[in-house]
Amino acid sequence: MNFNVKDIEQFQTQKQFIDTAIVPLMQLNLSDEGMKQSSSAVEYLMTLTMFIEQQFRGRVMLMPPFSYTDRTKNELLPMQLQEELHSTGFKSVIFITCDHFWSKKNENLNVLWLPAIPLESMDKTVKQRILEDQLKQIIPVLTEAWV
Amino acid sequence: MSNNRVTRRQFLTYTITGVGGFMAAGMLMPMVRFAIDPVLQTKAEGNLVLTSQKIADITDVPVKVDFTFEQTDGWYKSDVTEAAWVYHDGNEIVALSPVCKHLGCTVNWEGDPAHANQFFCACHAGRYEKNGKNVKGTPPLGPLDQYEVAEKDGYLMLGKKIANTFS
Ligand code: FES
Repeated sequence: MNFNVKDIEQFQTQKQFIDTAIVPLMQLNLSDEGMKQSSSAVEYLMTLTMFIEQQFRGRVMLMPPFSYTDRTKNELLPMQLQEELHSTGFKSVIFITCDHFWSKKNENLNVLWLPAIPLESMDKTVKQRILEDQLKQIIPVLTEAWV
Repeated sequence: MSNNRVTRRQFLTYTITGVGGFMAAGMLMPMVRFAIDPVLQTKAEGNLVLTSQKIADITDVPVKVDFTFEQTDGWYKSDVTEAAWVYHDGNEIVALSPVCKHLGCTVNWEGDPAHANQFFCACHAGRYEKNGKNVKGTPPLGPLDQYEVAEKDGYLMLGKKIANTFS
């Protein structure tokens, strides 16, 4: 499901089935040197999470990305967001990010860190194959959360 | 200084030209739109999409065939990739939509080792027979949709989604 009115209406009647929230954690780099790479990572994470949503939309709610810059980065915010999502009824909350920062502090957060892959330079079929490969890495994380 | 002031006559002329312009535009716009619209509509959904799947390679074991088309949602155009499970049934080619009829996850052929010869939905353990019929007692309440199929130069084309024809 996506965070739009149509899907939310369905979520509210089917809460017992749609029990997992996915939150992309997106780092924005606005410096001249970093901007392009940052946008590439954003593009990758958006495409990948949309693909996950398409495959598991009956059980997963893809939240709008949680974005921050170096200066607005705050370790506590995802924790609070997670708490709120839990109290909304999501049993599992999974964060997905390309930012290394989160890969170390994951005792209380379920963070899946993936290195960004520059999809922008790839043609459609290669892109699709890469997304499927990445998905294969993500499925165990989901099934682990679902047992 | 007084030279720069707009005279009453000038003011009226400007105003009338302006208003006239709007009126003309108001009349012309719909006409232009009607003239152009049918051209835009030829791209509508429901057309056959060519896939990279060779007809000759299709067996009686379902394979996943991806296909991409352009979708317009309001102003937003995007490439959408969808898939179909395709197999031979006698002389016929069957293409099933992988979208689970429970809440829309993507189903996989023999996705659960415990249930050979069935489609499996990992989200809530929904199951379907090979022809798309939902297995009673699992969450889905209806059979998988089908796609219209066609052939072009030996390759598979997929068309509109239709209701399952087996049940
Ligand atoms: S979405 Fe397939 S069983 Fe629930």
